[in-house]
Amino acid sequence: MTDLVVSPESPEPGEPPRQRKVLPGSGWGGRFVASPYLLLVPAAVALAGVSLYPLFYGVRASFTHYLYGRDFGTNGLTNYRNVWHDEFFRQAMVTTAKYVVCTVTIETLLGLGLALLVSREIRFSSPIRVGLILPMTIAPVVVGVMWRLIYDSGVGVTDPLWQLFGASPPDVLAHNTSAFIAVVVVDVWEWTPLIFLIVLAGLQSMPQEPLEAARVDGAGRVRLFMDHTLPMLMPVLLVAITLRTIDAIGTFDQIYVLTQGGPGTATRLISIYAYNTAFLFTQYGQAAAMLVMLLIMVMLLMIVAVRLMRRAAR
Amino acid sequence: MSDPMSSERTSRSYTRGQIVKSALGTGAVLGGLGPLAAACGSSGGSSSGAAAGSGGSGGGSITIGTFSDPAMVPFQKVFLPKFTKETGIKVNYQQTNYNAWYQNSKTDGLQKTGAYDIYVMDDNWVPEFAAGGIIQSMDKLGLKVNPDILAKGLDQGYWPPKSGPRLKAFANDTPQLYSLVIIDDVEILYYRGDLFPSAPKTWDDIAATAKAKTNPPSMYGWTARGVAGNPIVQTYLPLLNSYGGNFVNDDWSPGFAGPEGVGALERLFSFIPYMPSGVAAFDTSQETAVMLEGHCTAMTEYTGTAHIVDDPTQSKVPHKIDFAATPTQERSGPAIGTFICGIASGAPNTAGAVKFLEWFTSSPVQKEFAGTGSAAVTGSALRDATLSKKYRWLPAIADAVDNSIPKPRTPDEPKMEDLLGTALNQALVQAISQKSNYQQIAQSHLTTAANQITAYLKQQGTY
Repeated sequence: MTDLVVSPESPEPGEPPRQRKVLPGSGWGGRFVASPYLLLVPAAVALAGVSLYPLFYGVRASFTHYLYGRDFGTNGLTNYRNVWHDEFFRQAMVTTAKYVVCTVTIETLLGLGLALLVSREIRFSSPIRVGLILPMTIAPVVVGVMWRLIYDSGVGVTDPLWQLFGASPPDVLAHNTSAFIAVVVVDVWEWTPLIFLIVLAGLQSMPQEPLEAARVDGAGRVRLFMDHTLPMLMPVLLVAITLRTIDAIGTFDQIYVLTQGGPGTATRLISIYAYNTAFLFTQYGQAAAMLVMLLIMVMLLMIVAVRLMRRAAR
Repeated sequence: MSDPMSSERTSRSYTRGQIVKSALGTGAVLGGLGPLAAACGSSGGSSSGAAAGSGGSGGGSITIGTFSDPAMVPFQKVFLPKFTKETGIKVNYQQTNYNAWYQNSKTDGLQKTGAYDIYVMDDNWVPEFAAGGIIQSMDKLGLKVNPDILAKGLDQGYWPPKSGPRLKAFANDTPQLYSLVIIDDVEILYYRGDLFPSAPKTWDDIAATAKAKTNPPSMYGWTARGVAGNPIVQTYLPLLNSYGGNFVNDDWSPGFAGPEGVGALERLFSFIPYMPSGVAAFDTSQETAVMLEGHCTAMTEYTGTAHIVDDPTQSKVPHKIDFAATPTQERSGPAIGTFICGIASGAPNTAGAVKFLEWFTSSPVQKEFAGTGSAAVTGSALRDATLSKKYRWLPAIADAVDNSIPKPRTPDEPKMEDLLGTALNQALVQAISQKSNYQQIAQSHLTTAANQITAYLKQQGTY
């Protein structure tokens, strides 16, 4: 038995649309089945060109032997082996992990606190909101320069401030721990507003009925927050944390300007080490291998995050 | 009536699999076209360059690409127009930042696009550019070298190097001139003439004045670049060389972890009480700021700062800073970092490029170049009595070039510098915080760096 396919046909002006029955795989019917896919082709090609091809090229580069910038063909897993045995890579991974945990945790707590504060209609809440968002609008390189000047032991304000209180100058960027704290502070200053904005949007779109019902039942502020606001806010908060985590892993500009990864390797994130490996040491294959390994780790992290979000949404 | 052929064409059905295959195929083709498109983009520059350079040696034009640097300003503003006026060869001058230019020139040379005739390079690019065929042998192009050019500066342009260790693959090759020095940038000693009893010659002279004059924060006895990587290596090399150590020995083994290298680093640590406390985070700008604000008695630095020391808008101690070759222990051994020109592998006007380089490095032109206060490359210009009175750093540059010790001539030099520089910075941070045990700190970090460099060179397999 032959299936019939209903195909629309152009009506005469003023007439209702007519329909025509056609055979599949022949004449107009086949073309209409294919049309949606055909229409997708330009987008698919564009996506392949700008997104998939560089990714493919990067993965291919990670299996390629480059010597002094020249391609000498594939070398199997040698780049991955070299990267795995590179102590500076492992150090950079650890530093990146520490940096991400510190920045995202502090930014989440601060962003959440500020959003809770500003979500209520308090005095001057509008200018406060604008003021809080401002750091996020500044280019990271400019942020790096600004903070470099602030921390600078010669012209900055940090050392004189310490000396004002009779303490010896901290020379913030000259010591491992203080330099690490300094770059975390810069990131928190710049990106807390992002978490703040996302959480604020979440708070403002939150249904008020459950909260009012809890208030009527006598729930205090802490109980209200822990049992109602936070659970309802959790999906939004997880989105914010996920976005910030991805972004923090790739932090480059401000740290490069501030410390170039120093002192020693104290602030050398994986992005900075991979950049140096590729463009300073011309080890393109190893740099690609580093970034592929990082990509796999980030993807695993994201899978976990998405699962958590789904669970929270239920 | 409809065309039956047309009807047949339009009636063809498409399966999902076919469409996906087709889309992927198209994507792959377009993806494959990416590099081609990039190459075409580059050759766009090539065609204009080629057209521009088609005039040959008697006229036409040449294109010079470079990184931006204040030292290049007189070269661009004064000497390029002068060359055009004298020869009729027009010069196109294109500049960008250092990192972008390094990548751009390398890609251009590998693809032989012909967009440039001359690359202005940092001298540590020469091994990679010469070994990789990115630049052409000037000997083969018949360039005549001015014998007045200081030998140590000229030697930076040879590949394989005339002295020192060589890559395995080039061990038996005859050195050829692949690039020609145009600015002799070298480390010199900047010191306060009013605070030193006489020109300091040794590190002991520096230490004695530092001890006598240090009074923080208004006066320090020494300042340095302490940032990890290249900056602190530039601080360490004049010390290491002066103590008789080497970055690498003739067999590529690191030459800084022995007593000479440790002694040199201990000497740097001995200046800690006389240096600003934040020196581990200092790069050129912070280091020179301390000097130009009048808060320091001496430092070693490249020649780029020399021309601003007497400018009252940039220096609080004009005419008080003097110059000398870097101090000695066993010898003086400043690092050298010349601005050097190569002729692009795809240069459309090689004759014009050769003519320009011969012209610019000729003795009369170099004398005029030194007359702008620039680090000229000929002995007669740098030691000219009249010019030396006006620009008192010129004879110091000549002495420093004569005493200079080149960095390892290999494309892996940046990685080696990073490994050593990271260890030096870690050592400095530890020494500043402990304020004692300098010998042990120096030995431990230098040994670590030496082991890392040895392992890296082994991994590269070209030594």
